[in-house]
Amino acid sequence: MRTVFLTLVYKVGMKFFLQVIIGVKYYNKKVLKNQKQFILVSNHNSHIDTMALMVAVPFRKLHKTHPVAAGDYFGNSRFKAFLTKLFINGILIARSKEEKGEFGDTIERLSRKLAKGNSLILFPEGSRGEPEKMQRFKKGIGVLLKQNPNVCYVPVYTNGLGTVMPKGRFLFVPYESDIYFGQPTYAKSMEVEEIAMEIENQILKLKEIFHEKQRNNELEDEQLK
Amino acid sequence: MNMLSSDLYLQNKEIIQVIVLILGILILFTAIFGIWSLLNPENKPKEMISRTRSWWTMATIFILATVIHPIVTFAAFALLSFTALRELSSISKNLPKQDIPVVMFGYMAIPVQYYFAYIGNYNLFLIFIPLLMHIFIPFILVLRGRIEGITQSMTVIPTHLMLVVFAISHLAYFLSLPDIDGFNAGGRGLLLFIVFVTEINDVLQFIWGKLLGKHKILPKVSPNKTWEGFVGGLVTTIFVAYFLRFLTPMSGVESMVAGLLIAGSGFIGDVTVSAIKRDIGIKDTGNLIPGHGGLLDRIDSLAFTAPIFFHLIYNLHYS
Repeated sequence: MRTVFLTLVYKVGMKFFLQVIIGVKYYNKKVLKNQKQFILVSNHNSHIDTMALMVAVPFRKLHKTHPVAAGDYFGNSRFKAFLTKLFINGILIARSKEEKGEFGDTIERLSRKLAKGNSLILFPEGSRGEPEKMQRFKKGIGVLLKQNPNVCYVPVYTNGLGTVMPKGRFLFVPYESDIYFGQPTYAKSMEVEEIAMEIENQILKLKEIFHEKQRNNELEDEQLK
Repeated sequence: MNMLSSDLYLQNKEIIQVIVLILGILILFTAIFGIWSLLNPENKPKEMISRTRSWWTMATIFILATVIHPIVTFAAFALLSFTALRELSSISKNLPKQDIPVVMFGYMAIPVQYYFAYIGNYNLFLIFIPLLMHIFIPFILVLRGRIEGITQSMTVIPTHLMLVVFAISHLAYFLSLPDIDGFNAGGRGLLLFIVFVTEINDVLQFIWGKLLGKHKILPKVSPNKTWEGFVGGLVTTIFVAYFLRFLTPMSGVESMVAGLLIAGSGFIGDVTVSAIKRDIGIKDTGNLIPGHGGLLDRIDSLAFTAPIFFHLIYNLHYS
């Protein structure tokens, strides 16, 4: 039931909205095809980021893929929390120590989800911030990967969605945006900070490669396939 | 208004002939590149093959969009304008990022413009974008109260609308032209004529340029354009227009003048968009159509030929 519902929402409705109206283009998204479980890690500029990444997830894994959402923002009213669970399939987490009582220990809850074979979508910047500017990564992703070394992460670079709907605006505008997937990787280091840094650097590198390829006209859109 | 029903349209001998001609040309080129690849497996004309494949897709979409129902034709051209406007405002470097939300009013102008074309209101169709939107967009920008770069936005957004909405919507207006006695193909015939002649002119200029091209016309703007390609394309396009005049109410001489104007304005459209791309520093406007680039790379010449041909035929035979 849940799979059918999420497939309709993302593979039909959202897909049409994002690709035909907004103009989101996907590159290299086939890397997700053969992965049983993954943590999608991406830079964060807009609410649309989450939807755009969910659209790329193969439909069989949709119900087992959970975007990690800020509890103080998406959980500040019961209605919002309900919508986040229903449509986004999200997990609400505490962003600060004070909220722990309300949502429970973040890492422990996410680790439990991973142990059950679920996948996650994570934005380690922690907030959308200024459009098209990347902030330093929080180290939570490092702790999570250290505790779950058998789960791979997929770095993703998103470009342009901060223009489509930046923080503080409630209406979107069509604008061609790009989602560029990197290769699935297992954390090399065992140091929490090093893992977070490694992923941050990978996304920055993806950004560089993407713009280089864009300049040289080497990108192939996967939209129509 | 001339809204032929689709079954009537398929009984129209002239239009069937042109569709067969289009498919014939596509089959011919597919066969040429197929045999070429078989003979030289190492040196396949990869770009040509992917271009031809994209031509198949575009021709199929275009023929279906014009065959099914007038509503489908109008919707398809409106979607074309929408996608091209999005492409243009996404790559433009002269449009300040903070004013991109204002382009939303430009997107909302598309259904209005196509509605005026659909009901055949010639006056509103002509003034809506060149006059009303040129006042309305600066007004909205002023209301937002952000002065930095406002002159750029005031000029760039309406200019984009002129190029991909106003100009392209002329293609749809052909279907709203009234019937003329003794002329069977109707607005659909004219639409087929202008799209076919424009695209074949692009292809012919390309082929003549590849075969004989030596002297560059505008090396700084478009390094692949040569005098040989331009003149060769121009002359052959005049012949093509002459032989296809059965799709139009034009006489022989008129059709040759039309061919000349289409070839000339098609070339201007092509180099204008090339110049814009050079200014931005990109080779193609996108990667929507494999082998061709973005949508704008394909409709650049149409944006110039459609209004020119429309007003030529309108003043010769419809007013």
